[in-house]
Amino acid sequence: MSQVGSFALLIALVLAVYSFLAGILALVRESPGSERLGETARRAGVAIFAAVLFAAVVLVMAAFRDDFSIAYIFHHSNRDLPGPYKFAVLWSGQEGSLLFWSLLLAAYGFVLRLRHKTDQRLFAYASVIIAGVQIFFLLLLNFAAHPFAVMQGERAVDGNGLNPLLQYPEMVIHPPMLYLGYVGMTIPFAFAFGALVMRYQGEQWIHITRRWTMVTWMFLTVGIFLGAHWAYAVLGWGGYWGWDPVENASLMPWLTGTAFLHSVMMQEKRGMMKVWNMWLVFATFWLALLGTFLTRSGIISSVHAFAQSSIGEWFGWFLAVTFATFALFFVKNKAHLKSEHRLESLVSRESSFLFNNLLLLLACFTVLWGTWFPKISELVEDKKITVGAPFYNKVAIPVALLLLLMTAVGPLLAWRKTSLDSLKRNFLWPSLGAVAVGILMMIFGVRPWNDISYFYALMAAMLGVLVILTVVSEFVRGGRVISRHTGQNLAASVVHLWHRNTRRYGGYIVHFGVAMVVIGILGTAFNQDKEKEMGFGDKLALGPYTLVCQSYTQDDNPNYGNEWAIIKVFKGDEQITTLYPERRFYKASQQPQTIPRIYPTFTGKNPLLITDLYVVYEGVNQDTGRPIIKAHLNPMVPWIWTGLLVIIFGTLSALVPNAAAVRVTVPARAQAVPAGAGD
Amino acid sequence: MTPFVLCVCLLFTAAVVFYVFYLPGTLKLDPKKTRAAYLRERRDVVYDNLRDLNFEFKAGKFPEADYQAMKASLEEEAAAILAEIARLEAAPSSVGPIGSPTKQKN
Repeated sequence: MSQVGSFALLIALVLAVYSFLAGILALVRESPGSERLGETARRAGVAIFAAVLFAAVVLVMAAFRDDFSIAYIFHHSNRDLPGPYKFAVLWSGQEGSLLFWSLLLAAYGFVLRLRHKTDQRLFAYASVIIAGVQIFFLLLLNFAAHPFAVMQGERAVDGNGLNPLLQYPEMVIHPPMLYLGYVGMTIPFAFAFGALVMRYQGEQWIHITRRWTMVTWMFLTVGIFLGAHWAYAVLGWGGYWGWDPVENASLMPWLTGTAFLHSVMMQEKRGMMKVWNMWLVFATFWLALLGTFLTRSGIISSVHAFAQSSIGEWFGWFLAVTFATFALFFVKNKAHLKSEHRLESLVSRESSFLFNNLLLLLACFTVLWGTWFPKISELVEDKKITVGAPFYNKVAIPVALLLLLMTAVGPLLAWRKTSLDSLKRNFLWPSLGAVAVGILMMIFGVRPWNDISYFYALMAAMLGVLVILTVVSEFVRGGRVISRHTGQNLAASVVHLWHRNTRRYGGYIVHFGVAMVVIGILGTAFNQDKEKEMGFGDKLALGPYTLVCQSYTQDDNPNYGNEWAIIKVFKGDEQITTLYPERRFYKASQQPQTIPRIYPTFTGKNPLLITDLYVVYEGVNQDTGRPIIKAHLNPMVPWIWTGLLVIIFGTLSALVPNAAAVRVTVPARAQAVPAGAGD
Repeated sequence: MTPFVLCVCLLFTAAVVFYVFYLPGTLKLDPKKTRAAYLRERRDVVYDNLRDLNFEFKAGKFPEADYQAMKASLEEEAAAILAEIARLEAAPSSVGPIGSPTKQKN
């Protein structure tokens, strides 16, 4: 089977090279017959998907058939690995994950090439660019990281097994989501670069790529959050974000992608920021590649990164070539990207987008600098200076708060300029609501002058509430206008309002979700934890809870052996739950894994103040023979995961087509605006 | 390489070659986008902006004076675009396909 897989990858490479070269030739040569050549290039692009899919299916089948003659299967699977994890073998190692990258890119390219009639010329350019990226990954797969390499010598009876950290249900979803986001960023880049190369007239390419961009942004967001949730639920340190280089690698394209999603509206609406957007979309694509490079090259130490390998050099060269090619075409065609309008006022929707972009880029640069600083310091001073969470937090927290402010303010500002009267109309009530929340928090004991983290928490809560209130006010005011015209009740009018402009109101729902996430993060300021060796009947008090150890037990199955504690949780005299924190030992890989138990509960009477009780079985103290239990109280964390669901819902609702086509009668000469506009 | 593997590889190659190179009928690319077509897109965007402005005004987001100023500015922009479209339509060689322009708001 390995020969079939190898052959499919070789065919895919030939098809990609043909699609790229024939595509370029067809675009450059404006002669009879170039349409046919272009069509064969498009079809070759479509066929890449079939070839790469074939190769991926062969690899997955090899995992299910325990074919340990293939080195990749030997290193990343074993006979007793449960079925779903055998599927995840595809992306659990370097070669497989590169094949998965290539497969997703081929799938995106497949859909794009099937939809080429939307704008044949633009799609032809985008198709060539995607084929170019595809060539790189297929070269890697064929010559540097071959997933079908065969084991030498006698065939092994069993494999080394899958990394235990990956043997968790979320891990079957997290990498595909992240990869869909990473790889998907190639699509808006391909359209933007295509538009630059062909000097595309107008902003229609943005309209065409809008849904692609939103979908890939959503995948990247989900991937990042699933990674955070996995770290929270599996790594057992009580947190969800550790500023690990590989976490940072996924955050950087997300930051620039988010900036692009906002600033591109200025180009669509006002024909502004064309150069900025072109570089933003390039940066997003480039940072997605850089993220893949970080995880593959082993150049930067990380808990996630694969071992050091030679493919880092390949990535380095590819990053350099893409930058040089893009810069070359930018210099050649930059005159085409002239802005149609200027910024008229500092208090306007345009300026809010600009500030939002600058803040996102500042955050991105900080993360980039922090991620690379250990390597730079090693090169310059010959010693590795590690950059930890305090460095990132110093910049990231104020930037996140300012971004939250822009999220609240931006949608309420008018395009061009906003008067003082207009500001008063829009911000008075939401601001009073935010201030009221701040006062309430201080009454209930949050003292921002005692600790900077309390100050940040207070600001985050106030700004989060400001965002939520401004979003609600947008829906209510818009709903009232619809209600006046149609006679529907407010709820029906709000649905009507959303359906009238799904992108805008879906975007507001996303903002609502982001505010929830930030409120969830602010809970970190109030985290508590305790660690104790606990024998039978021993108690551990944490906040309003008392943990009582009932017993310890152990079990064994073909894949792993495990031991766990049985902990009863009391609040006052009432038992509220029993938790079973666990520690596993995987046999094939000979590696341990912690499985904490998390119980969302309410510390007070207010249902909004939800808190995670997080209990970890840390193992046995070898001296005393007694198990060590660590318990954390993490307030507001469930808000983060709920916020993600709201973000997903908002993005999906923004993808829904608008309700009705609006017919606009166009007068023969320049004298009119659409009749009845605004209804 | 077993005969089975050889057959699978040959079949796959034949299917790919057939799909890529068998092109029945004639193929035609869309005509290149003209300046007039681009202007029609811009005009539709300005109309959208006007529609949004009117809606936001009705929702009470702007005072009358702000609304009138912004509306005038957008109308001026629309008028300039329409004037250029009219000029281009008078010179038939430079225009794209002409039809009753309607738009799908999205």
